[in-house]
Amino acid sequence: MGQIITANVATSLYWLGRYIERIEKTLYQVIKAYDKVIDVDKDAGVKLYESFGVDLKYDSALEFLNVALTGEHSSNMLTLSGFARENAIISRNHLNNSSFGEIIALNALFQNTTKTHVLIDYKIIDDAQSLISEIWGEFAKREHKQNNDYFVKLGKLVEEVDFYFRFHEEDEYSETIVAEIHTILDILSGESISKTSQLQKQSGTSSDTMSAIYKKIDTIIIE
Amino acid sequence: MLEKETELHKKFWEIYSKQDIKKIKEFQTYMDKFAVNFNLYKDGNFIERSLPFDVIPRIISKQEFNKIEKGLQQRVHALNLFLEDLYSDAKIVKEGIIPQEFVEQASGYLKEFKGFSPSKKIRTHINGIDLVKDTVNDEWVILEDNLRVPSGSSYPLSIRDTYRKIYPDFFEQLKIEPIKEYPSFIANAMDYVNCGGINVVLTPGRFNSAYYEHSYLAEKMNAQLVRSHELVVKDKKLYFKNYNGKLIRVGSVYRRLDDDFIDPTFFNPQSLIGVPGIVEAYLAGNVALMNAIGNGVADDKGIYYFVPKMIQYYLGEEPILKNAPTYLPYFTKDKEYIFNNIEKLVIKDVAEAGGYGVLFGHTMTKIQLDDLKKIIEAEPRRFIAQELIEFYDEQCYLNQELVARKADFRAYVVMGEDIKVWQCGLTRYALEEGNYLVNSSQGGGFKDTWVMEL
Repeated sequence: MGQIITANVATSLYWLGRYIERIEKTLYQVIKAYDKVIDVDKDAGVKLYESFGVDLKYDSALEFLNVALTGEHSSNMLTLSGFARENAIISRNHLNNSSFGEIIALNALFQNTTKTHVLIDYKIIDDAQSLISEIWGEFAKREHKQNNDYFVKLGKLVEEVDFYFRFHEEDEYSETIVAEIHTILDILSGESISKTSQLQKQSGTSSDTMSAIYKKIDTIIIE
Repeated sequence: MLEKETELHKKFWEIYSKQDIKKIKEFQTYMDKFAVNFNLYKDGNFIERSLPFDVIPRIISKQEFNKIEKGLQQRVHALNLFLEDLYSDAKIVKEGIIPQEFVEQASGYLKEFKGFSPSKKIRTHINGIDLVKDTVNDEWVILEDNLRVPSGSSYPLSIRDTYRKIYPDFFEQLKIEPIKEYPSFIANAMDYVNCGGINVVLTPGRFNSAYYEHSYLAEKMNAQLVRSHELVVKDKKLYFKNYNGKLIRVGSVYRRLDDDFIDPTFFNPQSLIGVPGIVEAYLAGNVALMNAIGNGVADDKGIYYFVPKMIQYYLGEEPILKNAPTYLPYFTKDKEYIFNNIEKLVIKDVAEAGGYGVLFGHTMTKIQLDDLKKIIEAEPRRFIAQELIEFYDEQCYLNQELVARKADFRAYVVMGEDIKVWQCGLTRYALEEGNYLVNSSQGGGFKDTWVMEL
């Protein structure tokens, strides 16, 4: 019969994967920009957040960290981890206790930071990264892959390729991720690999690739 | 008043004294991490809040619990027979054990279901029976039967799990009954009554006060957690809508919503959380609903009065566990007693639950009591009166000190192929000293319950 899962939970697991990956990738970009802001390029943070559609203002490297992670914009960590938490609550009965707990803890980490109004430092990034590693670790260590894991993985990879297209030129690596996405989509839809190849060949620019992926996801998860 | 300390308590305190009390903080962290919530709506706003808990467990000896267990099995057996009888021949009414008028006026009685018998003739699948231990007779008495949608079992499961992580010494050194098997009791009962298909837990949704429990139990039972629109009825059969659009037959539903809301085509047409047509599928015998529709009549506070008589009538046995002394103003003699002693009684509105509609005579003014008498006179079936039971306090570690608080005990009884009593339960305590209302919806907290032997 295969995995039984509602469309709502499938969607939540997919978005859970996307948000956790988005947090991880954003933190990675923030670390890189932070290093540059210190003594290489004062505007590195501004340029980074422009790509998220956010206009960021700061005077120092530490202030950059604060406004990037906890400022009032849609890409702050409290918002992103809050979305991850909400999706985890909805899909809780398909998550193991540890991964669920780490997601709640990740959100609590940013909640506490926001509540205390203490100027944050690099440590919070380290703490968040540790929690994210634990979350991915929990998903990776499941012995038998089930569809619920594939939905999380799908979200993770879609977010990854989206970031890749946003910050890099298309190259072999992005093709590898796209191929992996299509393999998962095939597993979830029960289609043969030959159809995947056709789909990939149809893809042209990065925007075409993403559209093809989204279209395929819409045919797999039927609300 | 605290219960007399036993050898079991002494053993507990001995280990407790060697524990690092600072680790209680870790307890809170764990409970928060796993979002052990009981949500509330206040002034129209949804508030996600963690349920207050206490780390000092209630301790019940195995010997004492054995009696509770037998009494609860007997009671639930009789209640199931009562419901089955009431919705078929109604012999208990015909023979005058319970007045017909009394049954018909119970809001939970659904005459439309007369003549229908559910899968395996089981109606009381999951039961939450509320008890307290009376200080006068030093014995457990039953306060209430919850046979519709009793909640709360996930909280002791969560706190026990946390306890074992933070303070393993107790479980290494004491003989405490394990409790992990409770979700399998429900899963087995679901399998037993299943009419062909998968098992699902039907939740009103993410913003229900007990959503945490719904998702927790679904996960532990390996059942699907669904909202109403994820189910559909076709040809009097219930189906689960899979993510890919395929329909999968459902054979058993652990529903976490009341009768009124379960099917807008049959009950409340305004219900947005019910499944249209589910009652039709149920009446066709194509799906089992846990608990059965129409159980409300048996956990009506007025019908509670008759449970000891049901035990005698159906089982030919004397009740092992007593009811709290109860009076029905419906009967003239009882009404006279109530009016003469109202200032020392507890008056309960039979239609209310969750600690609402409970009035303590000793806290009311003469004018209020007179008004209450007039209301009782006008609507005698609406009320019951009970002697105020002085029940034991439990030690609680609140605000960094040990204090005594009133505490009740909800026992969970699951009926499938046989009747199983969980060797644990939900001990609820009042947050304020002297308060008798312990319900979670009244701000009460909870603690673990250890059934132990030496």
